[in-house]
Order: sequence, then structure tokens, then C-alpha cells
Amino acid sequence: MRILVVEDNDLVADAIARGLGIAGFAVDRAPSAELAATALAAEHFDLAVVDIGLPGEDGLTFVRRLRRQGATLPVLILTARETVAMRVEALDLGADDFLMKPFEQTELAARCRALIRRANLNTNGQLNFGRLRIDVAGRQLRIDDKPVELTGREWLVLECLAFSAGRVVSKERLQQTIARWDQAMTPNAVEVYVSRVRAKLADAALIRTVRGLGYRLDEPEA
Amino acid sequence: MSLKLDPTTSIHRRLLILLLPPLALLMVAGGFADYRASMVFMRTAYDQSLADAAFAQAALLKVVDGRIYAQLPLQPQPLAHAYRAEKFYYSIWGPDHILITGNPQLPAASAGEGNLTYADAWLGSHRIRVVTYRVATAAGVATVNVAETTSRREAARHFILTSTWLMDFILVDSTLLLVWIGVRYGLKPLLAVRGQIESRSPRELRPLDTTEVPAEVRPLVDALNGLFEVLREAARAQRQFVADAAHQLRTPIAGLVGHLELLTQDPAAAELESRLCMLRDGMSRVAHSANQLLALARAEPSANLADRFQDTDLVPLVERVIERNVDRSVKARLDLGADLDAASVAGSAWLIEDLLGNLVDNALNYTPAGGHVTVRCGGGQSAPYLEVEDDGPGIPEAERGRVRQRFYRLPGSQGHGCGLGLAIVEEIAGLHRAGVTIDAGAGGHGTRIRVQFPALRAASQGKTANTVTP
Repeated sequence: MRILVVEDNDLVADAIARGLGIAGFAVDRAPSAELAATALAAEHFDLAVVDIGLPGEDGLTFVRRLRRQGATLPVLILTARETVAMRVEALDLGADDFLMKPFEQTELAARCRALIRRANLNTNGQLNFGRLRIDVAGRQLRIDDKPVELTGREWLVLECLAFSAGRVVSKERLQQTIARWDQAMTPNAVEVYVSRVRAKLADAALIRTVRGLGYRLDEPEA
Repeated sequence: MSLKLDPTTSIHRRLLILLLPPLALLMVAGGFADYRASMVFMRTAYDQSLADAAFAQAALLKVVDGRIYAQLPLQPQPLAHAYRAEKFYYSIWGPDHILITGNPQLPAASAGEGNLTYADAWLGSHRIRVVTYRVATAAGVATVNVAETTSRREAARHFILTSTWLMDFILVDSTLLLVWIGVRYGLKPLLAVRGQIESRSPRELRPLDTTEVPAEVRPLVDALNGLFEVLREAARAQRQFVADAAHQLRTPIAGLVGHLELLTQDPAAAELESRLCMLRDGMSRVAHSANQLLALARAEPSANLADRFQDTDLVPLVERVIERNVDRSVKARLDLGADLDAASVAGSAWLIEDLLGNLVDNALNYTPAGGHVTVRCGGGQSAPYLEVEDDGPGIPEAERGRVRQRFYRLPGSQGHGCGLGLAIVEEIAGLHRAGVTIDAGAGGHGTRIRVQFPALRAASQGKTANTVTP
């Protein structure tokens, strides 16, 4: 997975590059929008991390230009100056996520993984999460390349959680998802299905319960 | 009249004090004058008829051989039919004090200018009015005294007194009432200005509406508005400065935090790990403070956000805040959960998110591993609230007031924090006219902080309504 970091501040760019490198990404750096455009034209990247406050052409203008040219790679915007208007503008322009400085390296890495995961799902119907390989089109789950059998409802639960991996999925949403199969679904039944999926995933992935809110699919704790 | 009024006396009271007593005195004096005038007219009329009787008696006197005789029968005819209850007396004296006829007890009015004089006198137990007519005859001056008792006059006097008094009473009362109403209505525009000022939140710096301000108060209101403008500008400049400074700090801080985070995980720096951890934590605190300063700057009253408040559903807001903090709670081995019920407020979603973020942040910081942090909302639209409860060490009752101050931290408290968290909570709650209460959690353990918002509809009405209820 290759990421282009577009950031003019060396201190920040270096930290991001190292952090993402440790997280397992290949990272290239570009200190300006012009150089970033050249890099993107020449090679393939899975994701661009773009700072708003670039010298010359600023980050938002750069993203707008990218989208106009038809580039589909996911873009994560970094900013030191947060306003609601700016966040809305960035997302409207075609940025996929938005992160405030200062941020934690782990947070940045997690967001990058989620963006790339979503992009992959869109392009080839594959959803990879840690040791899980989810073939959405073929309705198949593999853990470490071994296929795992899931019933219809268990599959819906996993799919729903995996699409939003790393984010909390409310119990109501799970209930509605499964209720298409069975109108008489109760919240308690959701718990039953979640625990069955949990058992089948074993130690390959963690379905975390967030009390009072719902569930979140996480990579297993080290 | 030198009245010493306290300068702080209300204008309303001052006008009433200055107007009412002199007016009341004037009215009473006027009534008295009326009474006196009426009495003079009445007395003149009655005296005239008494005098007529005296003239009639005098006309019947005859002089025979140098002696004066009164022709009999002598009865004061004009008076006889006038008033049956009245008693009449007469006496006629010749020169040298010889009684010609009549009642010798009847006193005469003392002589004065002209030959007709009047007097009030007593005859036995009767009060009488006497007229004395001195008439010159061929045999010298005869003195004719005619008197009547005064019950008619008393009745008339009583009637005049009563009617004047009654009229006066009505006049005084209605005048006082009119003055009172006049003062009240005259001061209404002033009260409207007062109402306008009173109904504002003390943090509000919007100019006062001058369209309905009377000319006398206009300069005062203009001066106030000028002052508001200056304050607004100063607050804006201060906010801008804080925001700029915080923004400038963020990029280098981001770089430093990133590097320190990586270094603490780098096996090559294992020997320095404890020192790097200290550095990283210190840097996190700097980053946190910069963020908090920015949040505080945004929440300053002068930001005048009340104008941009919108109906905000608290449930998704709480969900967002919890979601953001799940990782932290996992790392700190805390059970972060929610207990959500419908709740909507009029407010700014991102400010309330800041508020809740700070409360959750504090709870996660100060609750030891294994503890629970629960975020609640509820109360619908009528009494919406947010609540964060933890089962950590709690805040001693004596400290609950002080933890709300900026930069104050509990003595001996652990964890990150710059002491701005609750100040920000207070600031944002204040903007929303919400009350913050700090209690112990369930069973007297831990901390429960509740932010009670005003009812959704009432809050949005209060913003537009400038009506004054006197």
C-alpha cells in the first residue's frame, strides 16, 4: 500500500512518513501541490494525505483539481485550522476524511487503513481486515486463507460491521439489517447473532461491545 | 420647598413625590376658597331678606306728637312663609333707649358704617342673626332690630360644605389617579429600555434597539451601544489573537508529538524510553492546551453564537463523542458506555460537542483502570440534559466550586490536563443558558456532572422576544 504525503512542514512530514512506514505503508513525500501532482501522474498511489496550508496552491484547491481530472484515489485532509465550514467544504470537494493537527500516529494509520479498505471494496468487492478476507460479491469469509462458514444472518452481521470497521455500529442498525430476513427480530436476538459471529471469528478479529451504543469490529488486541 | 431626594430614588417615585403632595394641597386650598365664596353669597342673600323685614317694620313707624309709635299688628310678613321652623324676633327702640315695642332682650348690632348693621348673637340658648336699622324720624332716631334663628343658614352652610368637600374629594382623587397613570405611561419607554437590557444575557454585546427610545434617553443608549461596540471589537481581537496563536502552534506541535510517539516505540531508543515518555506526555499536554485555548476562544461570549443556535439532537452528538473516545477508553481499560434517551436543545452542535468532549476527557483521565464512565442524555425537549458519570475518586464537595475556574487543578491530581476543561464546560453551558451541577455518582462514589439545558421551545422564544412585562 503506497501513500503520498503532501506536507510542507518537514517536521510533520517526517513524523507522518516514519509513522506510516512503521504501520506497514510505503510512503512518498511531496512538499508542494505541484510536486504532488507530478508524483501522482507518474506513479500509482493508494492514498494521498494532504495538508491544507501548503505554499503556493493550497490543499483544498489541489484536491478540487485532482477530482476534476478524474482521480479516484482516497484523500485524507490535514489541517491546523478547523472550522465547520472548512470541514464541509473539504468533504464537498471530494476529500474522504479530515484530521485535525495535532493527531496521534495510530489514529492517522487507522484512518488510512479504513480509507484504503473502503476504496478496495469499491474497486474489487474485497474487504480486508487484519486476518479477515471478506469477498463481498462471493459471500465468502476467509481467515488466514481458510474459509469459514456463516449462516445468512451471521453473514449480514459481519458484513455490516466490516463495512464500518473501526466505527461503532448501533444495535438498531444491526437489527434493521437482519430484520429484512426476519420481521420478528428483537434486540436480544441481535446479541445472539453477534456472539455467534464473535465465536466464529475467534482470535482473528474482535467485536467490541460499546455499552449502550452498539458494536465495533476491531483488530485483536496485541 | 426643599425636598431632599436620594439621587437613587426611582424617577417614578420621584415624580410622584414631587407632584402628588403639592397637587393635593392645591386642590384642598381651592376647595376651601370655593366654600368661602359660597358662604359669602349665601349670607348676603339671607341678610338681604332680613334687612327687607327691618325696612318693612321701619315703614310702619308713625310719629305722633313727637313720640314714635309702631303700627300693629306687626308681623314680618316676607319671612313668615319662608321657613316655618325659623323663629323671628324684633324690637323697636326710640331715642333715649325707650322700648317702643317688641322683645326687650333682643340685642342690637353695634353701629357701624351706614345705618344698616348685622351681627351674630345669642338670645337665650338660640343662635340668632340680627339686623339693626337706624331710621331717622321727626322725633329722632328709632332703632329697628329684626332677628331670626339660624337653622336655615346652618342647613345651607352644611349643604355647601358637604357638596364642596365631596367635589373636592372627587377632584383630588381623580387628579392623583391621573398623575399616577400619566407618570406610569410617561415612563413606559424608559421601562422598555430597561426591559431590553434586563432580558439580555450578560454576555450579550449586541447593540440595543434604539427605534423606540425617547429622546432624553437616546444619548445614554447610544453611549451604551458605543461601549458594546468597543467591547465587541476588543473581544473579537482577543479571540482572533488566541485563535491565531493556537493555530500557529499546532503544526510544530503535530510534528513534535508525532516524532515523540514514534521514538517511544523505537527499539533503538529503548534506553531512553522513560524520558521519551515524559517528553511525549508533556508534548501531549501542550497540544491539548493549544486545542483547549482554541475551544475557549471559540466559546467566548463575544462570539455571539446565540444568534446562530439551531435545534440540535443530542443523541447523535453523544454517539460521536463516545465513538471518538472508544480507543482511549480501551487503552485506559475503562468501560465507556452510554445511556441515551431523546433530548433536543437549541444550541451550537460543535460547541456542545466540545463541552461533552471535555467532560468525557476529564472522566477518562481521572478514573482509574477498571472503572466505568457513562454518558447520558435525555429529558426530551422540555428538560434536556447531558450527564457524565464516572466511578473514579470523585471531587470533594469543597473543591466543586473551584474546579470550574480556569487553570485550577485538584491538589495532587494525576493525569493530563491543564485545568481548562471545566472552565470550557462552564463557558459553553453559560452560552446555552444551561446549568452545570457537580455531584457524587451513584452510591456516593465518583463524579456525576450534569448539564441541564433550558426547554427547547422556551429557549428559542427567549431569543426573539423583547417584550417587557412591567
